[in-house]
Amino acid sequence: MNDRNRLFLTGLWLIVTLELRQRVRGVSWYVLLGVFMLLVGIVTFLLWLATSAWLSGGGGVFSTIIFFVLLLATLVSPALSGNAINGDRDIGTLATTQVTLISTGQLVLGKFLAAWITALAFLAAALPFLIFAVVLGEVSLGTISVSMLVLAAELGVIAAVGVGLSGILNRPLFSIVLTYLLVAALSLGTPIAFALLGTATQQEATSVNYQVVQSTYDQQTGKQSDIVCSTAQTSTYTVPRFDYFWWILAANPYVVVADASPGSFDEGGRPTDLFGQIAVGVRGAQAAPELYTEYNGCDEAAKGYANQQSGIGPTPQETYDGAVPSWFIGLFIHVVLGAGALAWAWRRTRTPATHLAAGSRIA
Amino acid sequence: MSVTTVFGPGGSDRLGGPDGPNGIVPSGIAVTGVSRSFGSVPALLDATLTVPAGSVTALIGPNGSGKTTLLLMLATLLTPDTGSIRINGHDPVTEPERVRALMGWMPDTLGSWPSLSARAALVTTGRMYRMTGEQAAVRADALIALTDLGDFADRPSRVLSRGQKQRLSLARALVHSPGVLLLDEPASGLDPAARASLRQLLRRLAGEGAAILVSSHVLAELDEMADAAVYLADGRTASPEQVAAAGASARAWRIRSLDESALERALATPGVVGALVQVLGVDQLGTLVQVENEASAAALLHNLVLSGVPVCDFGPAVGNVEHTFLDLTRDRPARHSSVVVNPEVTP
Repeated sequence: MNDRNRLFLTGLWLIVTLELRQRVRGVSWYVLLGVFMLLVGIVTFLLWLATSAWLSGGGGVFSTIIFFVLLLATLVSPALSGNAINGDRDIGTLATTQVTLISTGQLVLGKFLAAWITALAFLAAALPFLIFAVVLGEVSLGTISVSMLVLAAELGVIAAVGVGLSGILNRPLFSIVLTYLLVAALSLGTPIAFALLGTATQQEATSVNYQVVQSTYDQQTGKQSDIVCSTAQTSTYTVPRFDYFWWILAANPYVVVADASPGSFDEGGRPTDLFGQIAVGVRGAQAAPELYTEYNGCDEAAKGYANQQSGIGPTPQETYDGAVPSWFIGLFIHVVLGAGALAWAWRRTRTPATHLAAGSRIA
Repeated sequence: MSVTTVFGPGGSDRLGGPDGPNGIVPSGIAVTGVSRSFGSVPALLDATLTVPAGSVTALIGPNGSGKTTLLLMLATLLTPDTGSIRINGHDPVTEPERVRALMGWMPDTLGSWPSLSARAALVTTGRMYRMTGEQAAVRADALIALTDLGDFADRPSRVLSRGQKQRLSLARALVHSPGVLLLDEPASGLDPAARASLRQLLRRLAGEGAAILVSSHVLAELDEMADAAVYLADGRTASPEQVAAAGASARAWRIRSLDESALERALATPGVVGALVQVLGVDQLGTLVQVENEASAAALLHNLVLSGVPVCDFGPAVGNVEHTFLDLTRDRPARHSSVVVNPEVTP
């Protein structure tokens, strides 16, 4: 490592530790983590009961705890990171840092890393319960590693957006609120948009039925003969086109975590954890509804209902395997969003400043 | 001041010294024709000044005259629209890092990391100037002693009073033993003893070769502290001719006598009061007379003493700096009362 890099990293780490001492040190922070651990503990116990985890394994418990960490981090992280830069400007410590040999890059990156580390503390606090879930069994190494890595990345994205917005906007309250809104748009807005757009885009579907009007049933062979068939009975109805909008869900952080985890299914092809259930739901939406269906009851009758299974659709596992994974698109969008916010914040915070927004100040 | 060994012009703890490759660089602050506006609002129109190394220069001007804007530009935080700035020969716009290494800035807003103690804040600042932890700790100890923060050094800075924060802010500006010091209202909030030590400290730093620019409203104090004054009004620095004219203009002198009636009689006697002197009135501190220049003041004192008046106090009613400042700003009442939106006053 050359001297320049070493100087950069030393300064970067100085900012990280300064941020952590400023924002995180103190009793209230540990109380918050304690409350969080208590909640996760309660959730773990209830899930253990609800999923009969001693029989079925810890997949359900594990995946739910991961989601719980994501939920809590999205609720707390914006408040901790959303005023990192403009809050410092308000208390007059930004400019006094900028006149030292700390560069704007070190400042912005250091604040981002500190915010990320803060969010990761929630994951660390949930570790005992995650380990408990793994001990229950049936959680693959793939699920453990991928879901925790993707969760960590998502926490980083939220931290980056918070710090970025705090550098872009001048008022701490506004940047915190906007960070919350953005996180809410991704977490809640995407399913709402998906559901609304899908149901609003109704399309007409046609089904044609042929039914047995009259037949002779042979008790011995169980076969029908002399079948008199009805004329084609056509009915039309509307179906929502969710398949046009499934990609919206790809931007949802919960979907990203769920979809990234390798699917885990039981013998019947049913998902064994929450990740699998969500991933099956999202991937199932990729399939277009059938706009024309024909049911010929007469043919069925002639064949003697030999193929009883034909009416039942594919198993969840078949749906999962037959569709395109989307998590890397979602993760990519998120990383671009976070990196973009940080880059913009860097531009806005650079000194000497050439342009100042109306009503803003440097020191 | 209990510690006197902290600052040395070439001390071993000096960081990022101004020495160029050939060892000869212009030292101090040089500002030429600098202007800056925020949107359509001009904050600074034409500022020209020099602060040579080893001197203290006062920056004086009414609120909104552009003092803070000018200091922000000198502190590498803001680019000028036009004009040039050199800090020990370096341009803050193109070489901010070199300027930062040799410049200390004390802002008018008192920012400190609320949960850090004064000592921790100074150590952290030292580390920001690339000192090692050990160097920074030694330096922090020295500065705490220098600014008399000893009793409060280990309390979180959010509990410090305004004056204590002011001293912490000064200590922070001195962490890297800068050769150029920019102080924005350093004396506000300080008690008289702390003001006196500040004055002594700045004089000593200047004596050791630092170039110091101080903006202040406490004009009387600047008389004792500053070698030179720069007057800034409506975004323009007053020219030397304007300053000379203002300084030489008629001003009030105050006379106090052990026998007020004798003084009154003497002033009423023809021949004692010269043609260039006019009696203004009497207030609780003495008698005020308008004196055209120092020669006529000397003549007046001579005559009073000859007349047997027991004069015990005879001097200008306002200090030199204040007199010049008031005279310069009086010249332009319409402009300096106009609304000047400046980053230091916008919310």
